[in-house]
Amino acid sequence: MNQNARPVRIVMIEDDEGHARLIEKNIRRAGVNNEILPFTNGTEALAYLLGEDGSGEVSARRQLLILLDLNLPDMTGIDILEKLKSNQHTRRSPVVVLTTTDDAREIQRCYDLGANVYITKPVNYEGFANAIRQLGLFFAVMQVPETD
Amino acid sequence: MPISKFALIRSTVAAFLVGLAALLAIVGTTLWLVSEARTYSDLSVAVRLQRAALVDLRSLLQDTETGQRGFLLTAEDAYLAPYEQARRQLAAQLELVRERLSGDPSLAAPVARIAEIIDAKIAEMQDTIDLVRAGRRDDAVAIVRSDRGRALMEEARGIFDRLIRGAEDRIGDAVRHQYGTISWLIWVTLLGALVIVGVVAAAAWMATVYTRQLVAAQEEVRALNAGLEQRVAERTADLGRANDEIQRFAYIVTHDLRAPLVNIMGFTSELEASLGAIRAWFEKAGVPADDPLAGEARLAAVEDAPEAIGFIRSSTRKMDGLINAILKLSREGRRTLRPERVELGALLSAAAESIQHQVVEAGGEVTLAPDLPSVVSDRLALEQVFGNLLDNAVKYRSPDRPIRIAIRARPEPGQRILVEVEDNGRGIAPQDHERVFDLFRRSGAQDQPGEGIGLAHVRAMVRNLGGDVTLASEVGRGTTMRLNLPRDLRQVARTAGSEPT
Repeated sequence: MNQNARPVRIVMIEDDEGHARLIEKNIRRAGVNNEILPFTNGTEALAYLLGEDGSGEVSARRQLLILLDLNLPDMTGIDILEKLKSNQHTRRSPVVVLTTTDDAREIQRCYDLGANVYITKPVNYEGFANAIRQLGLFFAVMQVPETD
Repeated sequence: MPISKFALIRSTVAAFLVGLAALLAIVGTTLWLVSEARTYSDLSVAVRLQRAALVDLRSLLQDTETGQRGFLLTAEDAYLAPYEQARRQLAAQLELVRERLSGDPSLAAPVARIAEIIDAKIAEMQDTIDLVRAGRRDDAVAIVRSDRGRALMEEARGIFDRLIRGAEDRIGDAVRHQYGTISWLIWVTLLGALVIVGVVAAAAWMATVYTRQLVAAQEEVRALNAGLEQRVAERTADLGRANDEIQRFAYIVTHDLRAPLVNIMGFTSELEASLGAIRAWFEKAGVPADDPLAGEARLAAVEDAPEAIGFIRSSTRKMDGLINAILKLSREGRRTLRPERVELGALLSAAAESIQHQVVEAGGEVTLAPDLPSVVSDRLALEQVFGNLLDNAVKYRSPDRPIRIAIRARPEPGQRILVEVEDNGRGIAPQDHERVFDLFRRSGAQDQPGEGIGLAHVRAMVRNLGGDVTLASEVGRGTTMRLNLPRDLRQVARTAGSEPT
């Protein structure tokens, strides 16, 4: 993934540490060696992505790929998605929604808000591992733009 | 004062009877008084006739005396004429008096006395006339002077007066009696009229009060009814909300249960992968015979741990299935229904088509009634419902006979239709008739794969469509599933499950 000077950083917002670990393991198995930054709640993740002032200046010139779970303890992933996609510094960063919900309305809503990919976590582990590995392979060939 | 229906009937009947009695009393008294009046009027006519006869008789007697006196004075026959004439009439008049007075036996004696007096008087007068004719006028005067004739005449006058006065008294009595009768009639009529008016007024009052009561009661019923409808609507809304809450709850719970399950399954797989590495190492390195710890470790890696992992896996798989089933149910409950016109005939033949292969293989057939109606409902839900029922019919067929499935429909009251899916399968024991609709519950021999979700799902969907599903079954004979569905889903007041998007 973008073997330029600035490596792409994967921001993983996932409250379940087990899931986070499994996701990380399987992405690694796909040969993705980029840095993965895990966050277990929305507040911290937003602080990193948009800065303490919420302006998004901190993300300028970063290359970010965001893995987002919708069920977070302090806010819903949709709030985060909305903030990221409406901020000029982060709006071009690809957001992959990776969640357990397969509700059609939820999926539509995420794409309406600008989500780039929506993936439902398969419940059985083989499916889950497989999906994450494929996602990892996808990451490997994906171009991530540098933010403004 | 409230009047009960029975009190009204009782008092109405009583009023009616009283009024009838008063009317009968008036009519009866009138009839009686009229006949009385007729009797008295007849009586007074008779008495008047008696009086007239008596008066005439008295005049005749006086006429005879007058004629006799004239003759005695003048000795001329011309003066005798009245006497003769009256004398000729006397007998007839006496007879008339007798006849008219014959009704009263108490008058017989005076009448007889009058007859005697008349005879005696006539005899006396005839004697004097004869003596005058014979020229013995002095003798005749002497007879007159004897006062015998005068005494007779006085007596006759007295009797006549008494009789005539008696007759007049009787007439007066009759008239007075008639007056009394008439005033009686007036009083009775007045009283009767008063009673009738009173009864009518009472009945009218009762009827008015009762009618007013009825109207008030009707108003009350209407108000209660309106309140009831309102309450029903409120309860329905409450139930709808409760149902929504349960659906949401089920959804959230199952959803949240999935997350840890993914971890359990995931790390079990990781564990298994790690175990594979250990096993491979043991296979490659072998177990040193002098190390018991290594032997135990090998046993753990090769047997115990894989067994434990196997149990964890089968349990998590099962749990996964259960959670998915609940999720499916709750999702069905939350799905927005799309009412559209659905031809049941077409829908059911499509559903039958999908099991046709299995049915033909088992040598059976599916029969659709030719007159299946159309409904306005959610097509997808109906497809799933009938698909499930037909799948069950095929799945739980009896191995002893070729499968026969019959589908028919008939209208039910309240704009509903009843669809029956009948099979000749193995049947369901009576104690399981309700249970099979519960989630994860199955009936009979567990020789077919399944999780006990189908019928629970069917019932949830049918109820979501405003209907219900029940079954009739006999073990070894077959099962009939009965679906009661509204003809038009839009007419069914139901908000649960069709939340706005």
